[in-house]
Amino acid sequence: MNYLFHIAVMINIYIILSLSLNLIVGVGGMMSLCHAAFYGIGAYIGTLAMVNWGWSFIPALFLSVVGTAALSLLISYPSLKLKGDYFVLGSLGFQSIVFIILYNWIDVTRGPYGISGIPTPNLFGFKIQGLPLWFAFSTTIMGVCVVLISLIMDSPFGRTLRSIRDDEIAAGSLGKNIPWFKIRTFAVAAGFAAVAGMMFSGYMRYIDPTSFTIMESVFILSIIIIGGAGNLQGPIIGAVVLVVLPELLRFVGMPDAIAANMRQIIYGLAMILLIRWRPQGLLGEYKFS
Amino acid sequence: MPDLLSLQNVSKHFGGVQAVDRLSIGFAPGKITALIGPNGAGKTTAFNLIGGLLRPDTGSVRFEDNPISGLNPWRITSLGIGRLFQDVRLFKKMTVLENVMTAFLKQEGESLWRVMLVPWTETGPEKVRREKATELLEKVGLHHLAGTPAENLSYGQQKLVAIARLLAADARLLLLDEPTAGVNPAMIHKLLETVKRLATEGKTVIFVEHNMEVVRNMADWVYFMVAGKVTSFGSPSDVLSDPEVQAAYIGRHTTEAKLTLGGESRVETSRN
Repeated sequence: MNYLFHIAVMINIYIILSLSLNLIVGVGGMMSLCHAAFYGIGAYIGTLAMVNWGWSFIPALFLSVVGTAALSLLISYPSLKLKGDYFVLGSLGFQSIVFIILYNWIDVTRGPYGISGIPTPNLFGFKIQGLPLWFAFSTTIMGVCVVLISLIMDSPFGRTLRSIRDDEIAAGSLGKNIPWFKIRTFAVAAGFAAVAGMMFSGYMRYIDPTSFTIMESVFILSIIIIGGAGNLQGPIIGAVVLVVLPELLRFVGMPDAIAANMRQIIYGLAMILLIRWRPQGLLGEYKFS
Repeated sequence: MPDLLSLQNVSKHFGGVQAVDRLSIGFAPGKITALIGPNGAGKTTAFNLIGGLLRPDTGSVRFEDNPISGLNPWRITSLGIGRLFQDVRLFKKMTVLENVMTAFLKQEGESLWRVMLVPWTETGPEKVRREKATELLEKVGLHHLAGTPAENLSYGQQKLVAIARLLAADARLLLLDEPTAGVNPAMIHKLLETVKRLATEGKTVIFVEHNMEVVRNMADWVYFMVAGKVTSFGSPSDVLSDPEVQAAYIGRHTTEAKLTLGGESRVETSRN
């Protein structure tokens, strides 16, 4: 049972990550490869506040969300000038820089040693300990994030963002302040990624930079590509499928060394097949072109 | 009556090409004005300069006597200038109704705080926008297609939706870039009727057009442009009977000297 709770907690974290990236990629139409950077920045800011300054979970979460949203300007501002493939490369650069900083700024981040002994979230004197409680806690947080993100997507903000995705020049000529919309989209998506980062850090009680690499960004993007972009259900089903799939390989008796490689092959194959025959993913509405 | 929009000595070049050359033209409020001329005359560039997609090298664009050159397109639109693009540019994945609803300016629900913290306050304004958008679609005769994805419409229908979108953006000055190009004849009639009705309701219309019948039927005034300059201005009958214009559109020969009128591009003609 504990094993299932663990899988469910990981699914909840990836649902938050994929839905927030979906705001940028699926609704906003900006192909971004740096979501793990926001995830990592969020995890580190909040964790350092708890470990170094003794902050409790809620204020640390707040600082993490605000700090990560603010730092998203480092990539959202260039995105105003970089279009299409150039923006993808820009986001890749941002992802690499964040990883290098996390890995090498040892005085602050403890670099490759990581941060251990992260305190369990304490909500008004109530400690989140044990897998059943973590399942309930992460599901609640995920539920709140899903509601907030669905409110954004269904609002005039979401509608204008979709119009920018469909035709930026036309949206601009209808009086829409494109830069302001893009900057806010990155900020809010980064904020949600920070929430996922804090969940991960509190759940694992240990973080190091290898959890926030380019591979992690690619994995989050794969969730959207395979599950589908532009709506709520696509990223959610994608997160479930991509988190559960490698676990299923355990039950076919495959040795761990082979299973890890097999997982990569399955992801790659699934993406190639979907892009060829179902470019909108399993349940998505936006086709990648 | 002073011009609603004027270009004063505006120039724009791309590399070695002088697309617009010391252009000084004005547009009277509530009138339909056509910009005509051969390909490369600078008509669309003039639209891009007015709409803020391009900045003039020299000169200024003034709207209601305020300078607007250099402002971003979204700022210019919010002042009341709307543009129908030559290739329409609808949001094709969105429905017809969503296309129009997107265009309303200053929507409260475009604030993320409001959307996330007090989402229920958006219900009322959104309902009003839906009703207004439906009214605008009725105005252009497409309310029955409100739920259809824009990409499923005919080209003419798309242009009508784009006009409804401009009205939602509260445009008082409509820039229509080749409104009838690629549209079937039956739909052209509907399109033109709509534009004429808007002008009688007080909208100012500037349109670029190659169909001279449309120009004759629609325009109150016509500017004829060649190589970035206006070489003829007046009523449609005056301009269309100009030998140079006829040469450009029906191939009648004229003198080289007439074709390359130099000097001042402002054509002083009474419009009263």
